[in-house]
Parts: sequence; structure tokens; C-alpha cells
Amino acid sequence: MDFTFTSEQRQLRDDVSRFAREVLNEGLVERDRTQSFRRDLWVECAKMGLCGLPVPEEYGGTGLDPLTSAIALEALGHGCRDGGLTFSICAHLLSCVVPIWKHGSEEQKRKYLPGLCDGTLIGVHAMTEPGSGSDAFNLSTRAVPDGDGFRINGTKTFISNGPVADVVIVFTMTDKAKGFHGGTTPFIVEKGTPGFHTPKALEKMGLRTSPLGELVFEDVWVPASAAVGGVGGGAAMFTQAMDWERTLLFAAHVGTIERLLETAVEYARTRQQFSQPIGKFQAVSHKIADLKVQLEAARLLTYRAASRLETSRSVSLDAAMAKLFVSETLVKTALDVLQIHGGYGYMTDFEVERAVRDALGSTLYSGTNEMQRNIIARWSGL
Amino acid sequence: MEDTQRIVKDFILAQFLPGEDPAALEPTTPLVTSAILDSLATMRLVSFLEERFGIQVEAHEASVDNLNTLDLITALVRSKR
Repeated sequence: MDFTFTSEQRQLRDDVSRFAREVLNEGLVERDRTQSFRRDLWVECAKMGLCGLPVPEEYGGTGLDPLTSAIALEALGHGCRDGGLTFSICAHLLSCVVPIWKHGSEEQKRKYLPGLCDGTLIGVHAMTEPGSGSDAFNLSTRAVPDGDGFRINGTKTFISNGPVADVVIVFTMTDKAKGFHGGTTPFIVEKGTPGFHTPKALEKMGLRTSPLGELVFEDVWVPASAAVGGVGGGAAMFTQAMDWERTLLFAAHVGTIERLLETAVEYARTRQQFSQPIGKFQAVSHKIADLKVQLEAARLLTYRAASRLETSRSVSLDAAMAKLFVSETLVKTALDVLQIHGGYGYMTDFEVERAVRDALGSTLYSGTNEMQRNIIARWSGL
Repeated sequence: MEDTQRIVKDFILAQFLPGEDPAALEPTTPLVTSAILDSLATMRLVSFLEERFGIQVEAHEASVDNLNTLDLITALVRSKR
């Protein structure tokens, strides 16, 4: 496989990385401390085309192929030190925008995609419930037929972008007997729909600039046309959304890994102990060498998965492997970079400790790494 | 049609029922409701059907109504070719 960049891909990578460095990194320590989400920065990202990267231009998107989208998000992760903002953009794009583009009706695409791509609307994907995490399809949220539509009742939790949601894809159980196999249906619910509340923003360890919260649906009525991918199509739609998320969100993390590695190299070249740069000690240089190898392996796994997103449904295996490896590399990199920085890395102003906090969630979201290993084992014939 | 069913049967036996007597998997043997196909196995099967037969299974079609038996799966594939 040849992943040599075209001149257009190189230009895109450089443009996005420069934009991120110059526009998105202001006041980060304070924003992290106060869990502040900056809608103005979201709009700036949309102006760069980041909120609709793979969506065709006729729907307001940027019209990039998945691999080029991965390159753009990798550049975002590299240039933007705000892991929460990067995460929010990716959650919006990969678990709301892409599913509407891939499975929505023509009417839904025309109605929602332009606003989701230009930054006017923030998209949300609501699957997890208080009682269902890895057992994702054990849903308590119900949608029952009512007139020309459905009435939804239930509570979702750990919903990324939930507190600032404009458009929500909420997964419901429409036929408990069928369950995963045709019994789940996603519906689009708009902000302001009677009975739809976002009561509780949750405080968390990392990615603190990405709003996270509960969504409550109390007798929310939606027309039948709000179903995405047809009644009963939830499982296949969710699976495809996860394939995109496990590939392209983690492409952004590859960029983050590279930035952290660069930070460590720079520090190891300038920090002196025992009258020489600490990078001269093999205890440090070998650690950096190992991180470099893991970075390149992570990048290749991600690019391979991205290159297959549009060509095969069996990308589930590639996506699971990419997610698993990139997330564990991200955590290891963040911890090793902190170790290289010593006591300074433990200080908030150096922004390394935040990178550790931001990294740790990556082995949990988009399906825990235990679930990724289950998927990989099943696809390996076990 | 018989060839399609044989291909699907061979895949299910190899992937999800290793060591099982092939004769025990009949055209009407329940696959979903007997838990032979769980969620991961179902998505794996759908991927196989799409790639092997060059078809596209829509999101709402990956259901027990279309995947519960070899006969149903064969009919789904045939309707799309």
C-alpha cells in the first residue's frame, strides 16, 4: 500500500495544522480548568471545512475521500492542543453527520447537512444509557408508534456534545423481540422539541472542553420521517458509524501522538542534567525511539482502515485494530512524555499532564478496547 | 439459488459452527433466534454477503426477518442480484 501524499493532501495537512496552531490553542489551561466549550472556535473549524470533511459539496460538505479526511483530522490533532475541541468536532462529524449522509433520506440530508457542515448546528449521537454501555443494544429507551410517528421515552448518558446539542440521533428500541436484529431504530430529534431536555452536564477527568451530558426524552413525539435508515435499521447504522469513528477520530489521535513526541524530543534536546542534554541518555532516547516506531505503526493502521471505509463493510476489523492500537499508543505516549519531562511534566502549565488526562478516555470511548479485542478475535475465527 | 445457499452455509459452518455436523444446519434452522448469530456474527455475515455476492444490504434489512434461516438469507441475496 502506498500512502504517499498528493500535493493537495500535503497542502491540506499544512493548512489545517497551521490553522489549528494559530487559532485554537489560546487560553487552554483556563478553558480546561473551567470546562469551557468555545462555540466561536467551533465555527472557525467549520469555516476550515472540518465539520463536513467527507460530505459531498452538494450538501454543504468539503467532499473529501475518507483517507484525505483522515489526513485533515490528523493535522487537526497535531496542531490543536485542545483535545476536547478536537474530540467534539470528531464526535459531531463521525457519529452524527456521516450517518445522516450515509443513511438519511434525501429530505433529511437537505434539511440538516448544510447547517451541520457550516457550524450552525452541532450534531450528537445518543446511544449509551445508564444501564447499557458495552452491551450497547440492551436499550431501555423506547419508541412506540403514535399516530403518524413515534413517541420516545428514555434517558441517555455520557453523550458527547449533549449539553450543546442542536440535532440528536437517538437510538431507540422499537421491537424488543427483535432487539439487535431489526428492533432498534435511530430517530432525529431537534433541540426545542417538547419533552427533550439536556438537564445535566457531567464533569470529567479529561477532554474537559468537550461538553458531555445526559439527554432525557419524556414523551417526545417525532414523525415517522425522523427515522434514519428505516425502522429497524439501527444496528447496521451504528456499526458503520463506529467504523468511521474508530478510524477517523483515531486519525486525529495519531496527530496528537506526533505532537507529543515532538514535544518530548524538543525537551530532551534542551533539558540538561549531569552536564548534557537528557536525550543523550539511552534511558530517554530509547523511550523516544520506541514511541516513534509506535507512531508510524499507528499511522499505517489508521490510513489502511481509512482507505477501506468506502470500499468494504469488512472495514470493521481494520477499524477495531486501528482504534485499539492508536488508543493504547496514545496513552503510552502521553505517560512516557510526562516521564521524560519529570516533575515539570506534572505541572499544569507545561500542558503535559492535561495530555495524559485527555488520552486516558481513548481506551473507553468508541467501544472499550476489550470490545475491540472481541471484534478482532471474532473476525479471526474465534 | 442452491449454490448461493451452499456458499452461505459453508461460511456459517466455518465461521460460527466449527466442528458442527453440516447436516444439522438445515435450510430452516433458526440462526438468530437460536443465538447462532449474535450481533458481531450478524455483521460479519452481512459483510460476507455484500462482498461475496456484490450486493448492498440496507440498514433496515439486516434483521431477523431476512437473516434467521438459510432460506431467508438466500431469498435476500436472490432479491438483490
